[in-house]
Amino acid sequence: MSEKERIALRAVAYISPQNYPMLVKSFGTKQEDELKYHYIAHTALDVIEERINSNPKAVECFLGMLYVLEDVAVYGYITPTRVKIVAAIDQTDEFIKDADIILLFKALHGAYHDALQDPFLQGPSSQGLRTEDLAQMMGRDDKWKGLRRLLDKVALAASRHIPTPSG
Amino acid sequence: MASTKQFKNIGEDLWKSRTDKINAELFTMAYGSLVVQLIQDYEDYAEVNKQLEKMGYNIGTRLIEDFLARSSLGRCADFREVGEVVAKVGFKSFLNITPSVVHHPAPGSGTGTAQPAGATPRSSLLPSQNAAIQAQTHSAPGAFFVLTLDENPLAEFVELPESALPTVGADSTPTGGLWYSNILCGVLRGALEMVQMQCEVVFLSDVLRGDESTDIRVKLVRYLEEEVPVGDD
Repeated sequence: MSEKERIALRAVAYISPQNYPMLVKSFGTKQEDELKYHYIAHTALDVIEERINSNPKAVECFLGMLYVLEDVAVYGYITPTRVKIVAAIDQTDEFIKDADIILLFKALHGAYHDALQDPFLQGPSSQGLRTEDLAQMMGRDDKWKGLRRLLDKVALAASRHIPTPSG
Repeated sequence: MASTKQFKNIGEDLWKSRTDKINAELFTMAYGSLVVQLIQDYEDYAEVNKQLEKMGYNIGTRLIEDFLARSSLGRCADFREVGEVVAKVGFKSFLNITPSVVHHPAPGSGTGTAQPAGATPRSSLLPSQNAAIQAQTHSAPGAFFVLTLDENPLAEFVELPESALPTVGADSTPTGGLWYSNILCGVLRGALEMVQMQCEVVFLSDVLRGDESTDIRVKLVRYLEEEVPVGDD
């Protein structure tokens, strides 16, 4: 009988190709913890940079577990457009299969991609930081409304039973 | 007059028999970037609404030919049937959605429920006969139907910016704002004009603007009797 594996997604961070954070979203946590996830995103970024530089020819999107901090395990993923997705997941006693984490990242990537369909949203540009991005980072402008909503759905699905293929 | 169910089936068949379908995301993104570009060019939402409607009009005048050729439906008996065909066959065959439709007869055209015995055949009528029928059915000018779209492929994942939302005027009715899918109004107006019906087509509400539903009202202004079509301005 396969065990029910629930992935308790604590936070997700999307980081642009130019390495500035686009969106850091935490799920159901207190206000004070929000900052913790910003820290986690930054640390994760360092680890990701290290991994990418040591292996420039890697074609894998999934970067695996980056590190563990207190009670969360942090996983990384890089999209073909070099947007990095960092997910902080509650560390439990049960071993969570890589395949399930990859599924989660596919959902996170998919959510990002769906949100980008909004023609009024300017995603990360190739020219680097713009004034609109700064306004967004300082919280004055919530252009990622759509993405936040999609991410809530992903977190909800992840926290429910995730059927792992038997055998 | 074909029943609702028959129209549904015709619409279904037309959609299935189309071999050239377009990727939905590509369609949504193309329309999205069109709207954004118009906004950047005109910088005035009322003007953008007008331009979208105009573009839709040009599409509609051409689209109706395609529609009539493929569906081989005859002339509609009355405006009520027009509404049914538009919702169940038109929208279905082009966008694969079926908006629900509510009909409203023209004010003062009687109950509108009683159809004359020997009700109109499909073949075209002389204007004098037309007038008689009009008076008795849902076809008097002023009749309208309201389409309610529960999904809108043009507006998947779209979030309107604050500035595009309507503002509340002095008499506390909302004014201004962008009607994102206004091209649809133009398409309907253009298509119906090519089959001798001059209509006023407007959005009543839109979920993108925070309303409960997305509604389009199509009101018959008058029948165009054998006139030379008005040129585009």
